[in-house]
Amino acid sequence: MSRALSWRAVVVWALLAVLPALPFMSKFYLLLAFDALLFGAIAMSLDLLIGYTGLVSFGHAAFFGLGAYASAVLLERGVVSLWACLLFAVLVVGLYALVVGYFSTARRGIYFALLTLIFAEVVYTFFRYTQTFGGSDGIQGLPPPRLVGGFAIDTPMRNYYLVLVYLGLAYIACRVLVTSHFGKVLVAIRENEDRARFLGYNVQRYKMAVCMISALLTGLGGALYPGRSAFATPDLMLWTVSGEFIIMVMIGGLGTLAGPVVGGAFFVLLQEKVSSYVDWYFIVIGLVLIFIVLFMPKGLLGIRELLGGRRWRATA
Amino acid sequence: MDYVVAILLPQLLHGLVFGAALGLLALGLTVIFGLLGVMNFAHGELYMLGAYAGIAVVGVTHSFWAALVVAPIAVGAIGAVTEVATLRPLYRREPLYGLILTFGLALVFREGARQIWGGDMRRILPPFTGSTPLLGMTYPNYRLFLLVASSLLLLAIWLFFTKTRAGVLVRAAVQDAEMLDGLGVNVPRVFTLTFAGSAALAALAGLLLAPIFTVYPQMGVEMILLAFIVVILGGMGSMGGSVAAAFVIGLAQSLLTLWMNPQRVAIAIFAIMIVVLIVRPRGFFGREGVLE
Amino acid sequence: MKRVTWGFTTLVAVAALVWISAPAVSQPQVVKIGDLGSKVGVFEGYGKYQTWGIQMAVEELNAKGGVLGHKIEIVSEDDETKPAPAVRKAEKLILQDDVKLLVGAVSSGATLAVMDVTKKHKTIHWNSVSCAEFMRTTKFHKYYFSNQPDSRMQANGLAKYIVDKMGKKVYIFYTDYAMGQSDGRQFKTALEKLGGEVVGVAGAPLDTKDFSPWFGAINQSNPDVLFVAFAGTDSLRLMTQLHSFGMTKKYKMAGIDCFLLQQDLPSIAEPMEGFVQLNHFSPYNPDPNMQAYNARFKKKFGTDANIAAGSYDAVLFWAAAVEKAKSFDPDKVAEAHEGMCVDNTHIGRQCIRKDDHQVVMDMHLYQVKGGKNLPIARIAGSDSIGEAMVGKDPVEGFTWEIKKK
Repeated sequence: MSRALSWRAVVVWALLAVLPALPFMSKFYLLLAFDALLFGAIAMSLDLLIGYTGLVSFGHAAFFGLGAYASAVLLERGVVSLWACLLFAVLVVGLYALVVGYFSTARRGIYFALLTLIFAEVVYTFFRYTQTFGGSDGIQGLPPPRLVGGFAIDTPMRNYYLVLVYLGLAYIACRVLVTSHFGKVLVAIRENEDRARFLGYNVQRYKMAVCMISALLTGLGGALYPGRSAFATPDLMLWTVSGEFIIMVMIGGLGTLAGPVVGGAFFVLLQEKVSSYVDWYFIVIGLVLIFIVLFMPKGLLGIRELLGGRRWRATA
Repeated sequence: MDYVVAILLPQLLHGLVFGAALGLLALGLTVIFGLLGVMNFAHGELYMLGAYAGIAVVGVTHSFWAALVVAPIAVGAIGAVTEVATLRPLYRREPLYGLILTFGLALVFREGARQIWGGDMRRILPPFTGSTPLLGMTYPNYRLFLLVASSLLLLAIWLFFTKTRAGVLVRAAVQDAEMLDGLGVNVPRVFTLTFAGSAALAALAGLLLAPIFTVYPQMGVEMILLAFIVVILGGMGSMGGSVAAAFVIGLAQSLLTLWMNPQRVAIAIFAIMIVVLIVRPRGFFGREGVLE
Repeated sequence: MKRVTWGFTTLVAVAALVWISAPAVSQPQVVKIGDLGSKVGVFEGYGKYQTWGIQMAVEELNAKGGVLGHKIEIVSEDDETKPAPAVRKAEKLILQDDVKLLVGAVSSGATLAVMDVTKKHKTIHWNSVSCAEFMRTTKFHKYYFSNQPDSRMQANGLAKYIVDKMGKKVYIFYTDYAMGQSDGRQFKTALEKLGGEVVGVAGAPLDTKDFSPWFGAINQSNPDVLFVAFAGTDSLRLMTQLHSFGMTKKYKMAGIDCFLLQQDLPSIAEPMEGFVQLNHFSPYNPDPNMQAYNARFKKKFGTDANIAAGSYDAVLFWAAAVEKAKSFDPDKVAEAHEGMCVDNTHIGRQCIRKDDHQVVMDMHLYQVKGGKNLPIARIAGSDSIGEAMVGKDPVEGFTWEIKKK
């Protein structure tokens, strides 16, 4: 816990806070920074499941997309309060996560991955084919949400600070979670589920709880997205997007929280820059993923193991 | 009666045709799952590569039949190399790494195909055109051929697994690879050959469906999801279950369009699947607790 | 944070800074224009030709000294045929590359989304492919211009010919997203106004693999004419499958602009035989301007022109407006566009209507014979363009329900 407040962390947060003031940060780079931090935060919340509990969710895009749609539906109907959007997103994503969590956490390993995938596809298909929500074009041309009164989050800079606050709060929440007793139980489940059960823990309840937390954090991130982009489309919850979230976690390093944040940001920046120059960007990403799985299953942070010989996993 | 002949029968046939082809795709997937514990995300891309390999062969030989032989062999070889190079090192690790790895493989194959053959849609002409008057309607000959060919293939595969030593070995490996190892069987080789066979089956399905569905790099992405559903429904690792589930999905898809907008059918299929999973979590013929 | 996390973060941060701060190498006296189109997906072909059209216009303009003494540079981006990447790329083109003109996108869904971006950031936006009816009505904004006949114009032109010459009972089969819905709606409205009977409607999702599940319903309603509103690879698949079920012979077929490009026709000449399609360009049109344009295009790219004519004209219009405004200021350039005419477009003189920024264009109906789009009728632009409906809902009171006669 103390590490979260170390001087390095302070420097990082300070740097992020003054980033928009730097001369080369154009509006475009601010939007890019928004994406980088947003997807970083989502990768971090997915890490709670994959890295700490050993549950690979292949359906996180649905939590993200549902959050985005929840907010978009309100914005479209003239409810422009950011708080209303967030609250609605929590409700919608929470309900959905309850259902998914209930059925998926009953199964382990690959079954969990596939069940989350199928549930997410249901959501995707529903939004893609439902004209009330714009069908495959989604909901477009949304007004910016308002923080209080007439203060609209309508510039890239305001959006950036909003996502920075979100990332900060989410990070603190995850940190607290994994260092708590709850977090230790999650790791115990990952290491040996049966043993955790014999020790008297209600494993499924723990799994459901962490599923809910991860889904809600992701959904909140999704709810911020229409404010930046002015739209929500079904493509946001395509199953390949869930795959990209997993790639972000893998690049950053499982079970490290900070790693996936960096992994997510890295993924967004790489995609933006590389895809402007070459169109075989996905080969690069695919090869990076294969390389990491084969040689660095602990992610880029695993390098430390080679260098310093310290234990790689934050065992909470 | 008019309704039955003009509407019901054609839809029934559509369903059978599609179900048979889907069965070919799902069969390879379920065998690999039973054997390696890996849900192969790249299976859809092998299906896609089969179609492209077919186009390449047709370009040289001008024969669809030659392509039907060469393309699966070529893709099977790609499968074997992939298995040895990337999946084999992962056998001792959690199966989830395999899942993530194959997602990466899928990206590479898909984008690679786009670089080599371009992203635009290609067509393969069916080896014969025309249609047959059948019970008062006309049905394209190629679709009838597809139904017959897929069914024969499924039968041949069933015979392979029940009547030949190699087939029995694979089935034994699916049940218990360690015991097989103890009996002195070269298990890694069984794995590699099975993976190659599964890749060849996917390629065959891709090529057989290509004259109807056309060919483009993304073609595997949507099919793979359907194949996943089939495999889960049938009971993961169960071959008979997969084939049965493929026909169920194929028939459900085409018959449901009679009563609802075809777009709603996609959701209905998912609903069927979720209900099955709740009522019978291991699918039609799945064993309890495979790889849980 | 851990040490290596820290080191890695630093590494990423430094790399990001290097990327970001690398100054965009741009010479003075260069003006950039953005080309946003589909390079992946159902509409890949359309994106390629849009780019070629722009390239040709820019080359010709630069040979004459550019625009306002600036050489023109094209920045091309891929929108993956989806709204989300389209918006991201449009933001990149406008905010980072500082393009003074944005041409795109191809898919109507993407174009509608991009219109929000060009409106917000005040950028001249030309659309030369998408045809949803909302663009020059509810979504219309000051900086948006179009030389693509939208659904309303197409329906006006096509419905009359179908009712007069092909048959009164029509089945409408459309691709179920912005473009197809719009085409289906407008066509149904126009057809019913002209006394035609819509015997059935159905939508199939974008990128449908197998259309055969819909065929039963079509056969059951027994139409004279099957009207299809699809585009790109969907069209190819649909025609192949219709043909294999003998339906292209059974029904008279008609379709929208962009249903298939001339380039695609030879490979499916047989299924397409007799197909009536509205188009604003065909290399087989004897019009001397079109022939001259096509000859230049063919010399440069080795193939016949098509929708590329649209993006070509768009750049010419913009360049003329900039010269007229003597400035790149978006407000001035937008105002200069209004009511302006240009003489050297692919079809000769064309003018932009002031009210809704639509180019008044003559359209031609073509029928496919032996894989060639041969002209069969001409529709004057003034007949098809329809009243300006800026801000009004173009689909007010519309219903998909079929009136039984």
